[in-house]
Amino acid sequence: MEILPKISPFLRDNLYAFLAFLSLIVINILNQSGMGETGIYFWKNLIWNFLGFALFLFILFRFDYRRVSLELLWILYASMLILLIILALFKKRWLIIGPLSFQPSEFLKIILVYLISLIISKKTEPKLTSAEAVLLLIVIALPVFLLLPVDLDYAGIIFLMFFTFLVFLGFPKRLLLLFFMLGLAFSIVILPIAWNKLKPHQKGRIYGYLDPEKYHKTWGYQINQSLIAIGSGGLLGHGLQKGWSTRLNYLPAKNTDLAFAVWAEAFGLLGSTLFMLIYGYFLYWGLLVSNKAKDLLGKALSLGIVLIFLFQFIFNLGGAIGLLPMTSIPQPFLSYGGSITISAYIMLSILFNISFRKDFFK
Amino acid sequence: MRFNNFVKFGNLSNMKKVFIDRDDLEKIWEKRTFCVKILLIAFFTIIWLKIFYLQVVKHSYYLSKAKARSISGYVIKAPRGEIITADGVVVATNRAIFQLYIDLETLPDEELILKRLSLILNEDYGKLKERFYLAKKNSFGRILFKRNLSWDEVSRIVVRQYYLPGVSVEVEAERYYPYREAYFHILGYVAKISKEEFEKLKDKNYSSEDLVGKKGIEKLYESHLKGRNGRIETERDAKGRLGKVVGRIDPTAGDDLVLTLRHDLQMRAYELLKEKRGAIVALSPEDGSLLALVSAPAVDPNKFISGFEDGEWERITHDPKKPLLNKAIQAYPPGSTYKLLTALAGLKAGIVKGLGWSVSCPGYYPYGNHVFRCWETRGHGSANLIRAIAVSCDVYFYTIGSRLDVDLLADVSRSFGLGRVSGLGFSDEKPGLVPDKAWKKRRFGANWNQGETVVVSIGQGYILTTPLQMARAYMVFANGGNLYRPFVVAAIRKKDGTVVFKNTPQLEGKVAINPEHLEWLRDGLREVVESGTGKASKVPGLIVWGKTGTAQVVAIEKKTKNLEHHAWFVSYAGNSTPKIVTAVLVEHGGGGGAVAAPLAGELYKAYYKLPSQLIKWTSKEEETPPDLSGGFLYGNFTEN
Repeated sequence: MEILPKISPFLRDNLYAFLAFLSLIVINILNQSGMGETGIYFWKNLIWNFLGFALFLFILFRFDYRRVSLELLWILYASMLILLIILALFKKRWLIIGPLSFQPSEFLKIILVYLISLIISKKTEPKLTSAEAVLLLIVIALPVFLLLPVDLDYAGIIFLMFFTFLVFLGFPKRLLLLFFMLGLAFSIVILPIAWNKLKPHQKGRIYGYLDPEKYHKTWGYQINQSLIAIGSGGLLGHGLQKGWSTRLNYLPAKNTDLAFAVWAEAFGLLGSTLFMLIYGYFLYWGLLVSNKAKDLLGKALSLGIVLIFLFQFIFNLGGAIGLLPMTSIPQPFLSYGGSITISAYIMLSILFNISFRKDFFK
Repeated sequence: MRFNNFVKFGNLSNMKKVFIDRDDLEKIWEKRTFCVKILLIAFFTIIWLKIFYLQVVKHSYYLSKAKARSISGYVIKAPRGEIITADGVVVATNRAIFQLYIDLETLPDEELILKRLSLILNEDYGKLKERFYLAKKNSFGRILFKRNLSWDEVSRIVVRQYYLPGVSVEVEAERYYPYREAYFHILGYVAKISKEEFEKLKDKNYSSEDLVGKKGIEKLYESHLKGRNGRIETERDAKGRLGKVVGRIDPTAGDDLVLTLRHDLQMRAYELLKEKRGAIVALSPEDGSLLALVSAPAVDPNKFISGFEDGEWERITHDPKKPLLNKAIQAYPPGSTYKLLTALAGLKAGIVKGLGWSVSCPGYYPYGNHVFRCWETRGHGSANLIRAIAVSCDVYFYTIGSRLDVDLLADVSRSFGLGRVSGLGFSDEKPGLVPDKAWKKRRFGANWNQGETVVVSIGQGYILTTPLQMARAYMVFANGGNLYRPFVVAAIRKKDGTVVFKNTPQLEGKVAINPEHLEWLRDGLREVVESGTGKASKVPGLIVWGKTGTAQVVAIEKKTKNLEHHAWFVSYAGNSTPKIVTAVLVEHGGGGGAVAAPLAGELYKAYYKLPSQLIKWTSKEEETPPDLSGGFLYGNFTEN
């Protein structure tokens, strides 16, 4: 146990991050307990958090992020692809094993961020060559493409997440410009065609996003209810389990997609701000970890993880408050879900791991 | 065992051949993370601003939306104040009934719920659906789907409440009139508030389902009777099911009205009149309080709440007897009952020089180029004032009329309260008409013709009065000169018994009558009953003073010309001092002495609780009005 003596300096450096992490867990449990009569979710959530935390400690102390080999990740990546193919064939979003349902997209994020970071960490140049960039894009696009038919939103967001990641890893500027032009042309030509091909419920989301009040009974139902829940929270909120939207089941998917609305209704602007501050601080700290990491893998990995959390936040909250179209992606530390909880814990433990090990870099 | 050992492919040595230059990498990386920081701060700021906008700027907007959606507030209707007669009979009360409401906002699936309701209520689905859509068109928010549910229906619905989102059963206090038609015209009725009324009244604690006074006392005293609606607020979940009660304001019952009416008299009056068409007004000459007010035919006021049967409403509105019209306050030619005022004017003007001054009646009276007929074609012979009143000699009054200034007659009439509304307050009261020179000029642009005075002097022509006005005018003879404003509400009191308002008699004016003249006129009135045209009103053991009248109905259309005349009898009675004044009008009833006078007699028996036996009175000396239609006067006598 030569690591243990190192804990105190680690804690000294990362005390606030650790406290932020603990408060996020408390927020998660608190928020899920505020859902009202759906008590089973609360206990399940508690169990997931417990498992996640155990996993977190295990990975933190018994694991070195540098020890994962590229081959292992390629194997994981390949198995993920196979899994996605199978799910795509069955038109399923979830892999259901007995009582557990497993959402591959949550774990896909970890595999992708690790794989990409590992690949670029072998490089000797700070920027990507065009060939590398295209290769990495294909690495990202492949699972995204498989995810597309079953989970359009998540596929899109994952692509956006990792594309941004690549941009920050030194995506060649010329290629970026080319992609930008291509994307522009594509959207001008293809979008109108694609619009007609969209299913009514997908179009409806856009309608609902554009005018939630007008479509409050149909497409805008979710967003409208979410806005009412958040808006009615006011400065201090209604208190836990007191909000009408939550308690009277007006919020659809309140445990998952609209968990933020539940939080905002219960604790108002104060609670929302608190959550954002903690979450934001946490991401900021992630960036500091990235800066301080001694190796490129650690730097890239922590940056990627921060980006994943940031995008998750942008799309979940952006959707809930009506800035962006509603997407069905969960918010880490607010939403309920086995996969999201476990994957969030894994990513955080990697982040802490990086921070933990920077001091005894060999 | 170390976890790292499991990671078979781990190869730390890889990490050693790191980058070109550490510092370079650090610099580049700092730049990259700086960009991400900017991104982070930008997104967090944008999202926080939007949240701030939602939770602070638009807070009240969304809160009210949330409330409107999650809380359904239902009105608990305040029980209307009761209406009680002077002798303590409750004539307008409330009864508890179960009402079935459907909340349109939370009704998830109309067809499904209607189907379930049709099964529960054992009613035809098609009819139910028709009723629903009809009600939906006329309602806003919540519709009253079925009234007055039976206990059985209530229990069947309540146990299935869970499967009937949007449906609720409520107990409500609903207006009930136990004496139905008898009090219709005086109490008026309540009915569901109309959209226009609701728009006007919604700030005054009215709900869209409220019953509101539409006529009579119910309308006049609406603000007192209404009370304050309560409110019950219940949580409503996303599926429209109601949950726990979160707020409750109890309703405050309306104030009770104590009327001056005497129940037995009112019931007797209606009983006497219900087969006929007309009105009876009974007043107390001591203070002007109404003792009874009846108009016939009448409508059962309960039906305005519960609804009329098929076609019934059509029948009522098209009935030539006009059951909705309060005839006690509609204007009619007063006929011979007006002669008392002509006589008084004649006395004042000095035309009638005393009891010695008499007119010889040959049965007709030539004036100008026209011959006015007396109703008694054989003539009355020589008649002085008392006899002329007793036998209602037209020639005597023609003679006065031919010398009388119409403005003086109008002044006398006005001092008796004619020509204006009585102050009872009913909005459908007609002021009647007292013609004078200025009026004629205004109305027809022509000068007054003395021949018209001749006609007016027997209560025909332009003069129009209401039964209420006539009763009030005779009140002056009864009490010797006091013209009181009639009133019907003696007191208003709260449910706990505290009196909010107590009516005091309003003396509107004093009519100056020479006591000698008054004596003569009273003698005339008494003689009408003793020996004259009004013998049918005689009551053993009582003194009755009265005057018959038979007003000619001049219809504009020839074919209805042979309508019968309006029968009038205006009188007062008492042991020594008069206690009750009545005006009886029977529309198209025939002669006042035969038709109206017996009713007055019966009323006095009821008032003094004397045994009654209504006998058909037939008299040869029946007064009929002289035919005036052949003269130069063409007026619409029945309308004003």
